[in-house]
Amino acid sequence: MADQGQSTERAQEEATSASPRGLDRRIEHVVILGANGTMGYGSGALFTRAAPRVSFLARSKEKAEAGLASAIAQVRSATVARRVETGSYDDLEARLADADLIFEAVAERLEVKRPLFERVDACRRSDAIVATVTSGLSIDALAEGRSESFRRHFAGLHFFNPPNVIVGTELVAGRATDPAILEFLERYAARELGREMVRVADRPGFAGNRIGFKVLNEVAQLSEEHGPLLMDRLIGPYTGRALPPLRTIDLVGWDVHRAIVENVYANAPDEAHASLALPAYMRTLIEAGVLGRKSGRGFFAKEGERRLVLDPKRMEHRPIEEIELPELRFIDEIAALHRVGRYREAMRCFAEAEGEHASLARKVIAGYLSYALHRVGEVCEQLGGIDRIMAFGFNWAAPGLLLDTLGARTCAAMMREAELPIPPLLEQALSSGRIETFMDPSITNQGRYFVAG
Amino acid sequence: MAADVYILGGYQTDFARNWSKERKHILALMREAVQGAMSATGIESEAIEVAHVGNFAAELYCMQGHLGAFFVETDPAFSGLPTGRHEAACASGSIALLAASAEIEAGRYDLSCVLGVEQMKTVSASEGGAFLGTAAWYELEAKGIDFPFPKLFGKLGDEYERRYGLKDEHLAAISAINYANARLNPNAQTRNWYMNQDHAEARDEYNGQVGGRICLSDCSQVTDGAVAVFLASEKAAREYARGRGIPLESLPRIQGWGHHTARLRFVDKVAESASSPYVLPHVRATITDAFTRAQIPDVSAIDGIETHDCFTTSEYMAIDHFGITPPGESYRAIEAGEIALGGRIPINPSGGLIGAGHPVGATGVRQLLDAYKQVTGTAGGYQIEGARRIATLNIGGSGTTSVSFIVGR
Repeated sequence: MADQGQSTERAQEEATSASPRGLDRRIEHVVILGANGTMGYGSGALFTRAAPRVSFLARSKEKAEAGLASAIAQVRSATVARRVETGSYDDLEARLADADLIFEAVAERLEVKRPLFERVDACRRSDAIVATVTSGLSIDALAEGRSESFRRHFAGLHFFNPPNVIVGTELVAGRATDPAILEFLERYAARELGREMVRVADRPGFAGNRIGFKVLNEVAQLSEEHGPLLMDRLIGPYTGRALPPLRTIDLVGWDVHRAIVENVYANAPDEAHASLALPAYMRTLIEAGVLGRKSGRGFFAKEGERRLVLDPKRMEHRPIEEIELPELRFIDEIAALHRVGRYREAMRCFAEAEGEHASLARKVIAGYLSYALHRVGEVCEQLGGIDRIMAFGFNWAAPGLLLDTLGARTCAAMMREAELPIPPLLEQALSSGRIETFMDPSITNQGRYFVAG
Repeated sequence: MAADVYILGGYQTDFARNWSKERKHILALMREAVQGAMSATGIESEAIEVAHVGNFAAELYCMQGHLGAFFVETDPAFSGLPTGRHEAACASGSIALLAASAEIEAGRYDLSCVLGVEQMKTVSASEGGAFLGTAAWYELEAKGIDFPFPKLFGKLGDEYERRYGLKDEHLAAISAINYANARLNPNAQTRNWYMNQDHAEARDEYNGQVGGRICLSDCSQVTDGAVAVFLASEKAAREYARGRGIPLESLPRIQGWGHHTARLRFVDKVAESASSPYVLPHVRATITDAFTRAQIPDVSAIDGIETHDCFTTSEYMAIDHFGITPPGESYRAIEAGEIALGGRIPINPSGGLIGAGHPVGATGVRQLLDAYKQVTGTAGGYQIEGARRIATLNIGGSGTTSVSFIVGR
């Protein structure tokens, strides 16, 4: 009897997921696991936009309540509470009984996530979707040992922080993920949650963090010789980003940075392997509790009214006014052109600027482009996917946008100047003689990423 | 019979952007809209014969006047181009459009670019609120008052309440619909904001009162934005159509327009309308003039409206002033779902000023471009199915300067 029951259930489930009805499924109840964490409450608030019931679960009901309070403060609406119930993992089985979507956002460690998934597997409804917000752990590794039904309904849904502001979202399939589930999640998140969805491969760091943290880490490496203040100025907002690289690392946290680059370094050796090695000074300082903004000290710090900056060689902070930056007239010129919307001329100025500092800035940007274009076919099928996640997830000028603004030949010349490999995609475009635009103009306004400063 | 004025398309900047955070000059906004409009239409800079700029208060927000001259800076080919700037508070964009279309009707020019622009995030909310106060009679209605405009449009709600009765839940529904529509518009400022009917009805720390009955959710936004459109004579439109292998008839025209200016002070307007069933009769006359010029009987000939919802009360007023309901019964259209996307007469499919944003001098031009998108079936996610004729209503001050266009094919 039991067997028969299971196989009937299987047949029904398969009929649901294989037919177009799979796309019509309704999400009435979402359960958030780890609702007290930043990604947990942020995502939870987002789901209340679309689902009538969202359960916030954490290790204790008090923690879940705290998550709800944070969710309300984040989206600035007390109405979030009308759609949210809170509870602890003690209630897991009862809460999952009628859950349509189970969204996992617990600590970013395999050994924490896996046992929770085992419990979920044992009590989830057989057609319930399970999504993880992991920012780079392997979807297949997370699903290891789980039932076939679980694995078919399991996918990565990687929101960036804070999800109410940053809309770029990575959708990651495991080997066993049902394509109909993926398609459903893609449409649901785009239509109901306002997400810009990008399908990415189950590779370490997926697409955004793989490429983004490569650049961040290289800047951290270079700051050992050149200092954080100069590096953040050289790869500053004028190169196409809202926040300079080292201030970004301070914001996301040094420990998070370490977890991401170590994962990529260990599991995805590539042509730029060395640039993903965590600088030794960062490793030492993390052990000493330097974690960026959340610990009060990172590349930058404040001591009362005094603004401090890290000296990576001595591994100590110094008053910012003691650091004398060289004259960087080319950056001022570029910023002045950005300010009036002359982005192409500005970036021509970037390509042609003379001196060691301009070369250093070009080396990092060329490294970004070379690395991103090498990843086409590995992390995303097309450059468009990488462009969209760098724009909508990182708020950076996308590789395709920089290629179009600088010109493909100029970008190739920048790569040669920095002794970087020319990616096949660029090689082909150049040798065909027919260089079309790389960036889909509908993806973004051209100028928004070039900040005049 | 006036000569036809065609619309050849245009470009809107993303109203969610904060150009001060990008550390940009207002010229960058203007340049993106003008260059974007040229790429969107394939019109070359050399073909443009004249330009009109709509802008409310760059002197205050950006310490910069003479914006007509800044148009020339948006492309190297524009040196020598005749240009000018027009101001009528929040109706500045429509006044620029009226001037451009009058020139085309008069046969002076065949192809005109109209650019509406405002950069507002250069100052704090309260400072900006005071600047907006100059759209009223500043000395009598705004001086020394925090956020004078929400208070004035709160009074519009109070007047409705006095004459006909008004429930806040209907204003909340207007807000919720505009925010919901904005989610479908990739250029809308609030497309990712957290909003729903419950929130719009809430009266708490997250939806505080701004002035009188006006709460945060009743307000349009402080927005940086620019929009450019091309207006053309039949001659230029014919050439444009031939170049693209499309029939002239497929290009939208301005079929009708209305334009009236009431007395400045809100109390004077209300006193004058005491014997009228319409709270703002000059707004009503603006709309009926546009209908008459378009040779249409009434609102039943319209497929959708882009109206001036600077506050929910102004959209509430627009519903009966357009004749969707008898005067004072706007709530009926709201309750019946008529003004939502998919309803009988959708209002602000773009999200309007509340959802899409309100860069003051750009709004009238944005409305016309959205009307163009609707009737050419290019509005994407916020398309009104089968739309052939759209009306706009753009208002400066507390119902002071009103302009309406009827756009159709």
